[in-house]
Amino acid sequence: MLTVDDLKKFGANTEEGIGRCMGDEGFYMMLVSSFLGDTRLDQLEKALKDNDLDKAFEAAHALKGMASNLSLDPITGPVTEMTEMLRSRTMTDYSVLIKDAKDKMEVLRTMADQ
Amino acid sequence: MTERSQIKEKIRRRVMVVDDEMINRQLLGYIVSRDYDVIYAENGVEALSKVKNEKEMISLILLDLIMPGMDGYEFLSVIQSDPELRRIPVIVLTSEKNAEVKCLRLGAVDFIPKPYDMPDVILARVGRSIELSEGSKIINDTENDIISGLYTRQYFYRYCERHDKYFPGIPMDAVALNINRFHFLNEIYGRSYGDKVLGMIGHEIRRLLKNKSGMACRSDADSFYIYIEHQDDYDGIIDELAGRIWDSAGNDHINLRMGIYSFADTELNIEERFDRAFHACNPIKSIQKAGYKNHLAYYDDSMHEKELFSEKLLSEMDNAIRERQFKVHYQPKYNIKGDRPVLKSAEALIRWQHPEFGFISPGVFIPLFEENGLIHKLDKYVWREAAHQIREWKDSFDITLPVSVNVSRVDLFDPDLGDELLNIAGESDIDPSECFLEITESAYTDNSSQMISTVQSLREKGFHIEMDDFGSGYSSLNMLASMPIDALKLDMVFVQNICEDKKMPAW
Repeated sequence: MLTVDDLKKFGANTEEGIGRCMGDEGFYMMLVSSFLGDTRLDQLEKALKDNDLDKAFEAAHALKGMASNLSLDPITGPVTEMTEMLRSRTMTDYSVLIKDAKDKMEVLRTMADQ
Repeated sequence: MTERSQIKEKIRRRVMVVDDEMINRQLLGYIVSRDYDVIYAENGVEALSKVKNEKEMISLILLDLIMPGMDGYEFLSVIQSDPELRRIPVIVLTSEKNAEVKCLRLGAVDFIPKPYDMPDVILARVGRSIELSEGSKIINDTENDIISGLYTRQYFYRYCERHDKYFPGIPMDAVALNINRFHFLNEIYGRSYGDKVLGMIGHEIRRLLKNKSGMACRSDADSFYIYIEHQDDYDGIIDELAGRIWDSAGNDHINLRMGIYSFADTELNIEERFDRAFHACNPIKSIQKAGYKNHLAYYDDSMHEKELFSEKLLSEMDNAIRERQFKVHYQPKYNIKGDRPVLKSAEALIRWQHPEFGFISPGVFIPLFEENGLIHKLDKYVWREAAHQIREWKDSFDITLPVSVNVSRVDLFDPDLGDELLNIAGESDIDPSECFLEITESAYTDNSSQMISTVQSLREKGFHIEMDDFGSGYSSLNMLASMPIDALKLDMVFVQNICEDKKMPAW
C-alpha cells in the first residue's frame, strides 16, 4: 500500500499535489494509484520504436500532464524533456530518458506492492 | 464577498471538463466540483454532442488541446462557428505558451496552465470567465430586440449619438414607422402572427439599411425608428418595404405608416428628433383616404407650432381653472310635447376664454386634455360650477332646473366617482336627481360590463343618467335594453340631414 511518506521519499512534491486536490489526501493517493496503472509509458516506447513521432508526442504530452499535476517530480523530469523534443518531432535517441522514466515508475510500483 | 461566492449564491452552474486523460480530467473536475456541477467528456466528439444537448445548461467549458480524434483546436472552431454555442466561454488547458495566441483567435477566453494552478486560482478564473460572459450576454440580450432583431430603443439612441459624432457631415433623417391598426392584426390572426410580421419588418429594415448609412430599432409594440442618411424618395421606400412584407406575410392588409423628419437637426437631442418623426407619423390615421394603403407624412414646422401650442395649453390648465378662465354656458332644453315649449333643464357647455389666444373651442382643448389625463380636473370644475348654478337659480328665481354635465370615460374608472359627485351636490345642497350625467356611448363599448355596473351604481345614488352621442359608435339597439339609463341623446349624424333627404323616413 503506497503512502504519502513513500511518495515523499520517492521525491514527489506531495504537498503541492495534495494542495491541487484541495487537501484531499485520499483523492490524491487514488489518482496516483491510477497513474501507476497507466500504459502510456509503454505506448511511448513502442511509438518511438515504430518511428511514429506524432503518436509518441501525444503519449509523452499526456504523461507530462499527469505526472506534473500529481507533482511526481522524478517522473515529470524525463517526461517533460521528451515532450519538448517530440513537440518539434526531433528524431533522436530517447532510450536513456525512457529508461529513466521506466525505472522511476518501477520504484513506485514496487513501493505500492509492499 | 468574493466574486466567486457571489456567483455561488445564485445557482449552481454547470461546467464541462474535456480531457482525454482520466487523471487530469478527474483532478480538474474535482477542483471545479467545489463550486459547480461538472460534466465530463473524453474527446472533442463526445464534448460536442453533450454541448449540443445541453447548450443552455453549460456555463463554461474547460478544454484540453491535445486529444485523439477531434482535438481542442477543431472543437473550438466548430463551436465558434455555431451562433448558439458561441456564447459558451471556453478556457483552454495548456502547457504551451505558443498555443495561446492561436486559441485566443479561435475564441478561447482564458488559459489554465498545466500543471494546474492551485484550486483557488482555477476557481477564480472559472468564476471570472462565467461572470464576464453572462454580463456580456445580458448586454447582448438587452441591446437587441428579440422579435425584430433590431436594436432596442435605448441602445439605438446611444448608437445614433455615436454615429453623429463620427460622421458629423452626413445629413440624416429620423423616420418613424408603424403598422396601421396593428392591434387589429394581433386580434384577428393571433399574437404569434403579429410577432412574425414584426420580425419581417425588422428583416426588411435591415435589408433597406444594408447599403446605406444608418441604423434602426423597434421602439415599442409595432413602432420602429430608423436613423438613416437623407433619402429623397420615401414613397419608393415605403412601397418596396410594404410589398416585400405583403409577399412574405401573404397578407396585404398590413398597411404601413411612416413619419419622416428630414434633415434632422442635430442640435436637438436624439429623443426629440424621433419625437418629431413620431408626431408626423401619427396624424396619418385621421387623414387616411380610401385607395391608399400606405401613408407617409413629413414633419414640418407647423406641426411643431401646433405641438408647442398644445404644450402651452396643457401647462396652463391649472392656472386657468384657478383664474376661472373656463366659462360654463347653459343651453336651455325645452319640453315640446305640450302647446308651447316649457323650459325643463339645461346643458352645461364649456368655453375657454384665454387671456392671450382669446376664445378657444372645446373641440381643441377637450381632446387634448383627454389624451393627457387632465380631463378629470376640468370635469370636476364643471360639475361644481353647475351645482352652484342650480343652487343660484333656486335661490334667485325659486325654480329647479337640472343641468346636464359630462362624465368622461376616464372619470368612470375612478372608484370614488360616486362619492365625489355626492359631495359636490351636497356642497350646494341640491339633490342628485338634479344632476344629469352625460356619458358618451363610446364609454360603454370599451369595457361594457364594468362600465354598466359603475353607471348602475351612480343611478342608484339618485343621479339621472343620459347616454350621449348615441349612434356615433357601434352600440346596437338591443344593447340599449340592458343599459341603466334615463335618457338617450341621439348623435348629430342621425338628425343633421333630416330635412334635406326625402328618403329618410319621417320620425
